[in-house]
Amino acid sequence: MIMESTSPNQLVALNMEGLDTPPLTLSQLAWRRFRRHRMAMFGAIVLALLFLYSFGGSLVLSESYANHTDTSLRIMSPSAEHLFGTDSVGRDILARTIYGGQISLLIGLTAVVIETFMGILIGALAGYYGGWIDSLLMRITEAMLNIPEIFLLIVMAKFFGGKIPEIEFIGRTFSGSVIVIVVIIGITSWMYLARIVRAQFLSLKENEFVLAAHATGTSNVQIIFLHILPNSMAPIVVSATLGVANAILAEAYISFLGLGVQPPTATWGNMLDGATNYLESAPWLWFFPGLLILLTVLSINFLGDGLRDALDPRSRAI
Amino acid sequence: MKQKLFFVLVVTALVLTACGGGVATQAPVETEAPVATEAPATEAPATEPPAAEAKVATFIWTQEFDSLSPLYQGMWFSEITQQFWLCWAWQFNEKNEAFPYLLTELPSVENGGISEDGTQITMHLRDDIKWSDNEPLTSEDFKFTWEMFTDTKNTVSSAYPYDNITSIDTPDEQTVVINFEAPFSPWLANLWQGILPSHILRPVYDAEGTLDNAEWNLAPTVGCGPYVFDEWESGSFARFTTNPNYWGEPPKIDEIFVRFVPDDASQTAALVAGDADLGAFIPYSDIPQLKEAGMTLTTEPSGFNEGWFFRIDDKSHPAMHDLNVRKALAMAIDREAVNRDLLLGLTKVPASYWDSLPFYNDPPSENYPYDPEAANALLDEAGWVDSNSDGTRDKDGVELVLRYGTTTREIRQDLQAVAQQQLAEVGIGVEISNYDADLFFAGYGEGPAANGELDIMEWSDAPGFPDPDVYYWLCSEIATDENPAGSNWFFCDEELDALIQQQSTQMDANARQETISQINQMFHDNVYWVGMWQDPDVWAVGPRLTGVKFSGVTPFFNITEWDIAE
Amino acid sequence: MIRYIVNRILQGIPLLFIISIILFVLMMNMGDPIATMGGRSITRSSDRVRLTRQLGLDQPVYVQYLYWLIGNDWAKIDLDGDGIKESNGTRRGILRGDFGTSLVNRGKPVTKVIGERLPNTLLLMVASEIIIILGSLLVGIYSALRQYSILDHTITALSFIGYSMPIFFIALLSMYLFAILFKRWGLPYLPTVGMFDPQVGKTTAQVLWHMVLPVFSISIISFAAYSRYIRSTMLEVMSQDYIRTAKSKGLPRREVVYVHALKNASLPIVTVVGLDLPLLLGGAVVTERIFAWPGMGRLFLDHVSRLDMPVVMGILLLIAVAVILFQIVTDIVYAWLDPRIRYD
Repeated sequence: MIMESTSPNQLVALNMEGLDTPPLTLSQLAWRRFRRHRMAMFGAIVLALLFLYSFGGSLVLSESYANHTDTSLRIMSPSAEHLFGTDSVGRDILARTIYGGQISLLIGLTAVVIETFMGILIGALAGYYGGWIDSLLMRITEAMLNIPEIFLLIVMAKFFGGKIPEIEFIGRTFSGSVIVIVVIIGITSWMYLARIVRAQFLSLKENEFVLAAHATGTSNVQIIFLHILPNSMAPIVVSATLGVANAILAEAYISFLGLGVQPPTATWGNMLDGATNYLESAPWLWFFPGLLILLTVLSINFLGDGLRDALDPRSRAI
Repeated sequence: MKQKLFFVLVVTALVLTACGGGVATQAPVETEAPVATEAPATEAPATEPPAAEAKVATFIWTQEFDSLSPLYQGMWFSEITQQFWLCWAWQFNEKNEAFPYLLTELPSVENGGISEDGTQITMHLRDDIKWSDNEPLTSEDFKFTWEMFTDTKNTVSSAYPYDNITSIDTPDEQTVVINFEAPFSPWLANLWQGILPSHILRPVYDAEGTLDNAEWNLAPTVGCGPYVFDEWESGSFARFTTNPNYWGEPPKIDEIFVRFVPDDASQTAALVAGDADLGAFIPYSDIPQLKEAGMTLTTEPSGFNEGWFFRIDDKSHPAMHDLNVRKALAMAIDREAVNRDLLLGLTKVPASYWDSLPFYNDPPSENYPYDPEAANALLDEAGWVDSNSDGTRDKDGVELVLRYGTTTREIRQDLQAVAQQQLAEVGIGVEISNYDADLFFAGYGEGPAANGELDIMEWSDAPGFPDPDVYYWLCSEIATDENPAGSNWFFCDEELDALIQQQSTQMDANARQETISQINQMFHDNVYWVGMWQDPDVWAVGPRLTGVKFSGVTPFFNITEWDIAE
Repeated sequence: MIRYIVNRILQGIPLLFIISIILFVLMMNMGDPIATMGGRSITRSSDRVRLTRQLGLDQPVYVQYLYWLIGNDWAKIDLDGDGIKESNGTRRGILRGDFGTSLVNRGKPVTKVIGERLPNTLLLMVASEIIIILGSLLVGIYSALRQYSILDHTITALSFIGYSMPIFFIALLSMYLFAILFKRWGLPYLPTVGMFDPQVGKTTAQVLWHMVLPVFSISIISFAAYSRYIRSTMLEVMSQDYIRTAKSKGLPRREVVYVHALKNASLPIVTVVGLDLPLLLGGAVVTERIFAWPGMGRLFLDHVSRLDMPVVMGILLLIAVAVILFQIVTDIVYAWLDPRIRYD
């Protein structure tokens, strides 16, 4: 539909812009819509700041400082020396939220890359080709979906637990549990997306524009990726953005169950988990990691929401 | 078209509402039924909840029982609950001293209860003891208990110590004669913890050939304690009511309601909110909050000490063989500060593995002090120096990086972080790892500790409290391909091995104390085990409960004296 | 259609086999059920050897799987450790309806272990699901119709905040606020844990009262996701040509929205609900743990941590079967809602 110049959206755009200016391309249009989506802009800005905080912060405070313990300074409330206070072994919470943020954000992003790739591929193939391919792929999807995600996560975390050694990456040493978490979140979360993509394909492939493309001899790959997939982008974008948020939250759940990223490697999730015994006595232990998780997930969701509205070729909001 | 609209709503929501509503209204009614039938047991009319007059004490256990049968339970919470409804031949008081319960007196060499060579123990039972169904409790029940524990048709959790008994004679209903092949000195701390009712279970065994599937295991309606088992609802609670046929002093509280709350933060919340009267295994971090809420916090030594177990063999880091390195490890950690800060000063650094058994820790061992300077000197002396200036000492091209693993318990992870830093300060690198308990403690071939993947292993353990018996370090227990079940994951020291074997056959307390002292000295001199903190049982007692005392062995030994103050 | 249903059921059988084999192999490599049987101390080596043999854990994985599948009453096993297989096996295998007995609650049939928890979980989860679906339908449709209104923004923001916190944190915070602080402040307060107050007994009112906090915690998480999803699908449908046609034809707005738009928007919603429903059987692992609710999620957690293979496999297969059945139902509803979809 995007290929056709008579798309109603572009007509609307033409009308709006008047005849003097050349018609906007779809991406310009999307950017325009996105910019006007205040919550999405807010989300994008906050997210950028969070990235700056987590990755830029490491230029100010070193990782060894983040892991520096001093039991005589444990559970100190925020002060000039420790802006966010200290935790149960006297580590600086500010520094830990910086280094924990790196891990949490990386877990979110990499897990979703795995998730989206698998989800689109499997959903598109199944929905488009149907027949035995659909049957096979959907059986696999179902096999995975047949077990609640949290159960799969627990089983996988226990299966991989302690089996993956430490690795070096971007100048940091990551405990093997980080890799375990990324992989298990990625391979246990693509199924919903696959189902959604398949459902979209199932209903779109009967549409006139697909039938027309078939008639003109367009190749299957082109139909899948150029005709149907762009029209399915809205739910994929929504699902993938929720996915990043989900992955960050999933890491926190797993931490709560004692199977997450193991200290001393900090993540916002395991910092929050470590704070559950101090709800009343040391609120700064949970406030900062909790706030950061909240802000991250919130802004990712706002961002995704804005993208949904902006990317949708049929949306009339301009 | 309009009709289809309603289908849509029906599909998305109303169908759910309908079937959901059905479940929601049915389920409580269904599960309510047992309460109505149980109510008469607490002397209240069936239509009225038993609340008004009955004194109900609510306890929180953070783990649900696996089984209630002494044969099949392998869990501390199941074991301590036995003091409510089942009886042990003897119990232990708040000083962890044994006193006879089903017996007229404790057997000893002096009263002829223990034979001169130590291979025979004779017990005399009280003649007024009986089961809650009014059947007498006799020597036959003791013999049956031994038979069931050692029968290979039963998948019992542990056959120890009954597998040390060769035969049991029952000359009359009140006399039990126990024969051992060799003297078995840890008998007092291990034998007769939970007697089985043979009049209930023998018919089951005769019919099924095993007790594995006996109903009594999970619903032991016949017991011999001050309370009797009433109900256990999976995942929710267990209820114990007073035993109408109890042969001793009747208890003052009418009902003990044990609630299973797996999360310790929730446990604390429930205790603070007054939703429970007793909690166990309180995290140290929550103690100030509970005290503020009016709870009494009690720590009761139960023999457990948290400590580092060292592996010294060909699978371990070569440096572990070096006594100076082990000494340096002990001296590089500020254990006083760990106890003061992480454990809020409620514990001390244990002087030895026998720390909570003062009689056997005599003369008390002296802890290696926190002295990083001395640790550095010892390492230098041993030839471990940082020759390549990477911050970690090395020798002959081998970096001094040790593998230090434990379970995922939070306080252990905290110690790991502290230790990693303090050891780095003396140039010892540490790779830390954590495992779930079932993986960490898994046997040879599966578990990281058993496989030799760790140089320093940390957990909390006790000798056969209140007995000093240990068996981990026996050379015969070394886990190998030939002996995969072995529980010695540490090292073999022939001299230590001989002493450990010797103490387990010494019936004379003073001679045994002498041997344990020697073992203790060897542990200290060779730095085979480094204690981190004492690990007593931590109890939180609500303001309503009175008369509460605890023992480290049988915590509820005086449960009949507990009361609820209104 | 009937042929289709039969086909799907037949396809489900190999699926269950695959799931069971994968899970079984995973479970066999996760740790050692014997490791935690010694209570607070390490299991003694003599007990380790004996239990491994008695429970059949010394057998190769394929033999264990076979015994689990078809039982071992046709084979001889060695119970006394003399190396001679002298005793008859007693298990009948899952194919003959014997799910085995729990390793933790030794002697307790798996069906009973699970059966005792299932009603509690359904009670909690179905109540939550009703609240989630009804609430999110209302909110989702409203937000879609009044896109970018102040209320839309407010609802969006609030539901996102609920969605953006880990559930354990919401659960603990709400417990702290409504049970502890409210009590301290002299306000009406909610109970912390369990299903009822033992002083009162297990009455319907008590159970409902104890359900408030867990249901709140579960709902707050899924509510945002559902309502966002409904809003987004409704928006998409509302911009379709036929809706515009319907509107321009002068159909009442009500009819356009609730008849034409909602019907088509319900297609993806049905997918999500159809996927979620059977998973309710699994309960809410974290919520049940925190509020000490005796449901399936906690059962799973307790037993997986001690590697109680028969129980864990039982729970997972029960859910798998439920999912397969619900998928078929979902597909049927699909075809019914959208006549363009054909399965023949």
